[in-house]
Order: sequence, then C-alpha cells, then structure tokens
Amino acid sequence: MPVPAGRWKGVDGASLLNPSVWIATVLPQQWGPLSLLAGIPVGKSRGVRSAISARGLTKRFGDVVALDRVDLEVGEGSIYGLVGPNGAGKTTLIRTLVGAVKPDEGSVSVAGVDPSADKRQVRSFVGYMPQRSVLYSDLTARENVAFFLRGHSRGNADDAVEQALDFASLDQFANRQVHTLSGGMQQRVSLSVAMAHSPNVLLLDEPTAGIDPELRHVFWEGFRELAQSGVTLFITTHQMDEVVHCDRVALLRRGKVLAEATPSDLLASGGALVRIGNGEGAAEQRVADVVVDLPRILHGNGLDPAIDRIEVRYSTLEEVILGLVERDGGSDSG
Amino acid sequence: MVSSSVTEAPTPASRTGAIGRRVLRQIIRDRRFLVTALVAPLLIVFFVETLFDAAGTPDAVTTRFVVPFGAYIVHFATFILTAIVLVRERVAETLERMFVNGYRQLEIVSGYLVGYTVLATVVSLNVLIELQLLFDLDYGLGRLAATYLVIWLLAVISMAIGILVSNVARTEGQVIPFIPLVIVPSFLFSGLVVAVDQLPGWGQVISRISPMYYANNVIQELVAGNTLTTDLVSFIALPVYAGVVLLLAALTLREQT
Repeated sequence: MPVPAGRWKGVDGASLLNPSVWIATVLPQQWGPLSLLAGIPVGKSRGVRSAISARGLTKRFGDVVALDRVDLEVGEGSIYGLVGPNGAGKTTLIRTLVGAVKPDEGSVSVAGVDPSADKRQVRSFVGYMPQRSVLYSDLTARENVAFFLRGHSRGNADDAVEQALDFASLDQFANRQVHTLSGGMQQRVSLSVAMAHSPNVLLLDEPTAGIDPELRHVFWEGFRELAQSGVTLFITTHQMDEVVHCDRVALLRRGKVLAEATPSDLLASGGALVRIGNGEGAAEQRVADVVVDLPRILHGNGLDPAIDRIEVRYSTLEEVILGLVERDGGSDSG
Repeated sequence: MVSSSVTEAPTPASRTGAIGRRVLRQIIRDRRFLVTALVAPLLIVFFVETLFDAAGTPDAVTTRFVVPFGAYIVHFATFILTAIVLVRERVAETLERMFVNGYRQLEIVSGYLVGYTVLATVVSLNVLIELQLLFDLDYGLGRLAATYLVIWLLAVISMAIGILVSNVARTEGQVIPFIPLVIVPSFLFSGLVVAVDQLPGWGQVISRISPMYYANNVIQELVAGNTLTTDLVSFIALPVYAGVVLLLAALTLREQT
C-alpha cells in the first residue's frame, strides 16, 4: 500500500521542536543509530513524594459522569500533564483538586490535605489558574494580582505582586486595564494571579490556550524552572505537542484515564512505521519495537541486496493519543 | 520562583476592606454607571414633585407622602444596583476565584456592602437635599439628620436584599423577575399608599416582610414632629433587619458545585 504523501511530509519541519518525530535513513548494515534513537529521552520522572493523589475519584452532574474512577499520582516538583478532548473532564478534575467541586466518590489529596474537607488549607498552598482568564476587566493587571493576593496575605505584599507580574513578563503592561490587553496577555495576568502567593502546587487549566508559539515556549521554560525549584505543576492541555514538556502524562476521555505514562513511554507504545525500498517500490510495516523488529524484517527479506532505503518513522505523540482515543470508541469532536 | 515576601496572615476585616476598596474603585471607574446611579433617583423625585404640583395636593398631604417616597426611591435604586452585581461575578467566575484565593462568604457579602454603602450614602444624601429644596421641609437639622439615618439604613437593607436575591439567581436574566417581586409589594403594602391596618391579614403579613414598612413607620413619626424612638420597635427593626439579611446573604452564597 502506498504511503500517503502527507503523512511523510511535515515531519522535517516539526522535528526540531518535537523530538518525538524522527526520520532515519540507513543502509542495511548500519544498525547503530537506530538503537540510539529507540529510547528518546523526554523529561524524566523526578517526583519522589506525591503532591497530588486521586483514588477512584468520581463526579456526576445529573446523568453525566464527568469523572469516572480516576486514579492519579503526581510527584512533588514534577510537571504533570492532563490531555484529552474538550469535555473529557479535565476542568472538573482540576476544580476538584482546588476544592471547587466536591467529588461524589473516591478520595483526593493535595500535599496530604483533602481539598473538599479542608479547602481553606489547600488554597493557602495551591495556585489555580482557570481556563478562561477570570479577571476584573476594569482593573489594571497589577490591581488584579494585588486584589486576589489580598485574600491570602496582608501587609507588605507589593514585592510578591511585582515578582508575579515579572514572571509573566508583564512589567510594561502592569498599569493597563485588563480589557485593553490581548487574550494572550490576559492569560499572563491570570497566571500571575495564580502564583502571586508562592504556592507549592500550581493547577493550570489550559494555560497556553490562545498564546502564540513563542510565548508558549517561554511559558514552558518558566514552568520547568518552577518545577526545578520544587513547585508541582498540574497542567491541562488539548494541544498534544505540549505533552513532551511534562514528566508524566494522563490521557483523560469521557471522565476516564485511558493511559498514564511518561511521554517517552507513551511515545514508545505507539511503535514505528518501517518502510523498506528496493529500487522498484517500497513495503511498509508497523512495528512495536524497532530495535527488536527491524532485524526480523530484514531477515524476512533475506537481506535482499536490492534494498537501498530503510526509513523508520516513529509515531508522534499526537498519533499515539489519537490512536488510544480511537480504540476507546471513536473521536470526540469540538 | 517567587520567593515569599514579608506578609502577614489576613484578617476577615482586611479582606472585607480589600473587597470594599476594589468594588468602590470599579464603581468610580464606570462613569456611565456612576452618573446614572446618582442622577436617576434625583430625576424620579423631581417627577413626583411635578405630579404633586399639577394635582395641587395640599402641603400637609404632600409631606406625609413625599419623604417616605424619597426613601422608597433610594430603596428601589440601591436594591437593583446590588441585585445584579454578585450574579455578574458568579457568571464571570470571579466569585469562584475570590473563594479560591482565600476570601470567605461573609467577607465577600460585607465587602460588597461596604463598597456600595459609600454610593448609597451619597444617593440618600442627594435625595434628602433635593426633598428639602423642592418641598421646603421645615424640619430643623436634628429631624433632617434623623430622617437621613432612616433612609441610609433602608439603603443598606436594600443592598443586602439585592445581594441575597443575586445569590438565588444563577444568571443575570434570572435576577430580573425578582425585581418587581421586591419593589412592588414595598410600594403597595408598606403603608405608603394605604394604611397597613386597612389591608387584609395576609397583606399585613407582607407589609411586615418589607423593610419599607418599618422605614415608613419611623418617617411618619418624624414627619409628624416626633423623634426616632417614638416608634421604637420599627426603628430597632431596621438595623436588625440589615443584620439578618446580611447573614442570610452570606449563608446562601454558594461556593461548591
């Protein structure tokens, strides 16, 4: 079967930013580079103690099951990504962690505290950024950060306000009323609000939605810095290419966790597509593990001297995730 | 990472103050709203004066009606102002964000009341000054101050009712049916139009639910030349009413879904 041109195109451009996409062209005797590429290092699980944990978490809204026996474990000082289509339950889950939604069944703990039982305590060390930039549009960026910080502390909080504005590179826009700022800029103000009280755990609901790629990169760099300083970040996104920035990822769909792994394991689970050309045409085959399967394929071909090209294309995270969604029963639109 | 700076734990008073200041700042920044909120009650009182002039109503009757009616206008205006605000915050999700950032029910309700009370204070004072100018009330400073206190207390109650109503509604649209439900009985059953004891039993019950009833009782005594404490029960009922509604508003301010 011929490979649709589009599937092989577009890979090169993305490969710099996205280490999950590779093309390797090797001669039959050159095995070495392939085995090096097999285990792509993408983030690492560094959490030892658990900052967030959910066990059998279930939440219903009427007949709709928003969360269906969700189990999660997020290590301290790590970046945890929650991906899934719209309506998967990501926001409900994040709002449960901050005590804004009371679970029907199961248990949740954030740094050892149950948010639905003791939300005051949880909120003192948790920062929450809602999906929409929930702000007072007639107040300035600085006034918004200062006002929400007042709920946590009083006295000389000016430094904390300035540092939070600084983190989101808002210094130049701090005195502008929020309604005069662009959508991406408002997201930055919203992030400043979430982190002004120096929380240990940051719950960010689609923080990079509506933000241009350049700033998105800056955001993720900032998130990594925060994680390195010991802050735990729990981030939802529906942009699957962002998952590579996370230490661990859960795929949520219709309230259920379909997969939970490191991005590299998730990537590896998708296997690769091997394409062998022999001058006249090409045969392709999907394999689970290139290192193990490629020799087998070559042996099957009897190490045909006519082979002049071997192309290996690893599945992208997006393909892996879409594949999992498909296996769960088709795609969700919207 | 943001290092922790020198901060102290907030107190309920400091958080209430922060909300009050924030609300006031928003009121002042919204010029169109501010001007409308200040001018509308003055216009309505002026219309009433025009009506009485045209009808040639005797002064004694006019004063018995017009001062409590001025109070009613303040009740009406301040109630509507606040009925919208909290539901607007709920819809915009800033209410939830306040909760997440440590603010609590009573602080939020009180903070709103503090912010809007500043506005209500100005509105009440304006209305009373206009009444004095248009109807040439012969009260003396003491009775004017007493009347002002009653109108001001009524304004605070009305705002607390507005907040309570906005807690019941989930959207701004749902607030609208409540508006006539509060202000029409206040006008018809508070003794403003017909003496309360002439109403049927159930009507008298409604009278006593409306804060306008107590305000009217006290104002009628002041108009007749008596003091604030002549109808002591009605006078004490006003701050008690404010406290109860405030507490109810705080208790019904939903946080979790």
